[in-house]
Amino acid sequence: MAEYFYDGTFEGFLCCVYAHYYKEKATAIFLRGGLQQMTFLDTAIEIETDAKQADVVYRAIEKKISAFDLERAYRIFLADDPQKEMILLNYLRLGFLKGSSISQYHGSEIVRAAEKLEKKVTFEAHRLMGLLRFSVLEDEILYAELAPDHNILTLIAPHFSDRYKNNPFIIHDLRRSKAVIAAGGHWYLSEFMKKELTKEYHRKEMEYRKLWKKYFENIAIKERTNLRCQKNFMPVRYWEHLTEMKEETEE
Amino acid sequence: MDRYEKLKILADSAKYDVSCSTSGVRRSNGGKIGNTCAAGICHSWSADGRCISLLKVLFTNRCVYDCVYCVNRRTADCVRASFEPRELADLTIEFYRRNYIEGLFLSSAVEVSPDYTAERILQCLSILRYEYEFAGYIHAKIIPGASQELVEQLGFVADRLSVNIELPTEKDLKLLAPQKKADAIFRPMKQITNTLIEHKRLIGPGIMFKGQHLNTEAHYIKGNDFMLEDSSVQKEARLRFLTPVSPEEREMRVKMQREIAAAGGNKETDKINIEKEHEHTASGDIYVLEERNRHKKVFAPAGQTTQMIVGAGNETDRQILKLSESLYRTFKMKRVFFSAYIPVSDSPLLPDKSVAPPLSREHRIYQADWLLRFYGFRADELLNEKHPFLDIEMDPKISWALRHIGRFPVEVNKASFEELLRIPGIGTTSAYRILRQRRVASVRYEDLKKMGVVLKRAKYFLTCSGKYYGLASLDPEEIRRELLENTQEKQLSMFAVPALQR
Repeated sequence: MAEYFYDGTFEGFLCCVYAHYYKEKATAIFLRGGLQQMTFLDTAIEIETDAKQADVVYRAIEKKISAFDLERAYRIFLADDPQKEMILLNYLRLGFLKGSSISQYHGSEIVRAAEKLEKKVTFEAHRLMGLLRFSVLEDEILYAELAPDHNILTLIAPHFSDRYKNNPFIIHDLRRSKAVIAAGGHWYLSEFMKKELTKEYHRKEMEYRKLWKKYFENIAIKERTNLRCQKNFMPVRYWEHLTEMKEETEE
Repeated sequence: MDRYEKLKILADSAKYDVSCSTSGVRRSNGGKIGNTCAAGICHSWSADGRCISLLKVLFTNRCVYDCVYCVNRRTADCVRASFEPRELADLTIEFYRRNYIEGLFLSSAVEVSPDYTAERILQCLSILRYEYEFAGYIHAKIIPGASQELVEQLGFVADRLSVNIELPTEKDLKLLAPQKKADAIFRPMKQITNTLIEHKRLIGPGIMFKGQHLNTEAHYIKGNDFMLEDSSVQKEARLRFLTPVSPEEREMRVKMQREIAAAGGNKETDKINIEKEHEHTASGDIYVLEERNRHKKVFAPAGQTTQMIVGAGNETDRQILKLSESLYRTFKMKRVFFSAYIPVSDSPLLPDKSVAPPLSREHRIYQADWLLRFYGFRADELLNEKHPFLDIEMDPKISWALRHIGRFPVEVNKASFEELLRIPGIGTTSAYRILRQRRVASVRYEDLKKMGVVLKRAKYFLTCSGKYYGLASLDPEEIRRELLENTQEKQLSMFAVPALQR
C-alpha cells in the first residue's frame, strides 16, 4: 500500500496504473509538488514517467477493455478534480475484470463516479464550442481567450480547426497558460503567455462587437424576460470572456 | 440608414420566430469556412432565456399583408428597413468567424410579392454558399405563394426550410390573416416533403418513424392528403394543390438527379457516401454529409419545420396537438414550434394587451409534443373531446399515467423499451441505461437514481424485482395529491410568469 506522486501527464498516470499492478497497490495518487494532505500512514512512491510502461497500459486498456473506454479515460483525465486519478484507477481496475461491458454497469458506484466526471468535461467542451468568442487581429488572425474549469482545449480544437480552415487562429486557455494554434486545418497545443501576443485588433473589430451587442439586446422578447433561465444556460463565470456580456473598455 | 439601425429593426421584428435549432445535419468544411454539428450548438442566451444560435433576421419588414397578430403588418406604425443581399452575407460571415453564431436564419416580410421576396432571399443565400463557400448552417423561411422553382432553389442552398402555419384553425386564419390562404401554406410544405423523397433524404421527426422506409411511393403526398380540421375544402372543392407527378415522370427526375450527381463526382465514391450518410442516433436520425460539394446538389438535409401561435385565437390544446401530429405523420416534419401569443396589437379580434402571454400553456404543449415525437404517444391518448386542454398543474405524461393507472406498476427488469418510456420520471436516456444494464446485471432500486430516473415521480409507477416503493394503494387521487405537494414549491419558482414589463 502506497501513496503515489506523479508528474500530472496522462502518460504519467498510465505509469501509476502500471505500478499499481506490478509494484505496490495505490491508496492515493497525488500531483508532484502539489499541496495535498498526506496521511503518512502509507509509504510514498515517486512514479517516474516511462514511455514503455505507459504504452503497455495504453494498449492493455484498448485491448482488454475497449477503445471507447480508452477515450473515456482520456476525457476523465482532462477533468479538474483532485479525485480524478483514483476515480479513473478504480474504473480501470473494474474494467480489467469486466472487460468491454464495464460501461453498462450504470448502477455501480465506481462507474457512476467516472460517468459523472466525464459528463462534466464533455459538457463544458460542448458548451464552450458555442460560448467561445474570437477577436479579429490586425492581420486577420483570430484570437480567443477562455478560462475553462476543465482542460478541454484538445477536445474543442478539432472542431474549430475544421471550421476555420481558411483562417489561422489561437485559442488561449488563460488558467493553464496554454494555447491551441491552428492554420489550414492543422493544429497543435503549446505553452502560451498573453505577452507573446503583440498584435493590435483589426480596425473594424470594435464595430462588429457593437453590432453583435445591438443584435443581442434586440433579439430578446421583453414580455418573456427570464434572467434566471439565462444564467442557468450561460453561467456567470463565463461572462468575463463573452463579448455580449461585458462592458467594452478597450475603446 | 446605417447597419446598426437596420440590424436593430430587422432583428427586432424577427424575434417572434421561434426556431433557432442548428441540428440535424453533420458536415465538415469543404469550402473555405464553416461546418455543422449534428447535435447543434447554442452560442448565447438572451435575456428571455431563449438560446441564440443563428443570426435571426428579416430580410425586410416592409409588408404588403395585414395580418392582425403580426408586428410587421402593413398598417402597423413602425420604422421600415431592408438589407441588401451582399450586406447581409458579409455580416453573417463576420459574425460567424468570431464564433458569435452557428449560421443564418433568414425570414422576411412580403415586399412587393412572394416571388420578389423569395428571389432576394435566394440571392443573399447564394452569395453565402457559392461565392463565400460558406458551409455553416442556413435556415430559410419559405414565403407562402412563392413559385415552385424558387422553393426548390432555396432548398439547394439551405439546410432547413420552414413554412409558418401561423394559426391552427382555418377559421382563425381567415379572420386574423385574411391574405394568407391555407392552400398557399400547404403547397410548399408538400413540395418540400415530396422533393426530399425524390432525393431519398426524408427522415421524419424524433423516433416516430424509426426503422421505417420513408423514401417510398407510399409516403409521397398527393392532392388532398392534408387539410386543416375545419377546412372548407370539401365544400368548395376548388383549392388547387401541387399537381401529383406520375410515377414515370418521377422516375425520370430521379434519374436526372443521379446523372447530375454522377457528372460532378466519382460514381463509386458517391455510392459509398450515400451508404455512409444514414446514421442512427438516440435522438432520431441525422444525415452525415462528407462535405458540401458544389456539384452534388443537396436538398434541405435537415428537413422542414413549421410554427404556430398559441393563444391568439380560440383553439384548444387538442386541436393544436392533433394538427401537430398530422403534420408529423403526413409531412414528416422534423419539428413543430409553438409560440405563446404576445399582444402586439389593439385589434378587438385579439386578446387584450394587458393579458400575459400563456407561457405555462406553451410549456405543457411542448411537453406533449415531445411525447409525440420521442415517446410513442398519440394525440388521442393525451387529450379527447371531453378533455380538450392539458392539465396546467401536471406534466402530460403524469396526467396520462394517472388516467391509465391500470397499466401500472411496471416491472423495470422485465418491461420493454416502449413500456419503460411510458413511466413518468423515465426518459429516453434512463430507459436506454436500464436496458444496457439488464444485459449484464439486474437493476436494483438504488441503481435507478444513478441512471437518471426521477424517483420522486417514478416510484408510484414501477416495481423493482417485484417490490413496490410508492403509496399503500394505487389510487390516482392519492398519488396526484402527493405529487402536487412535493412539487408545489419548485413549480412556483420554475414556471412563475414574469411580470409584464411595459
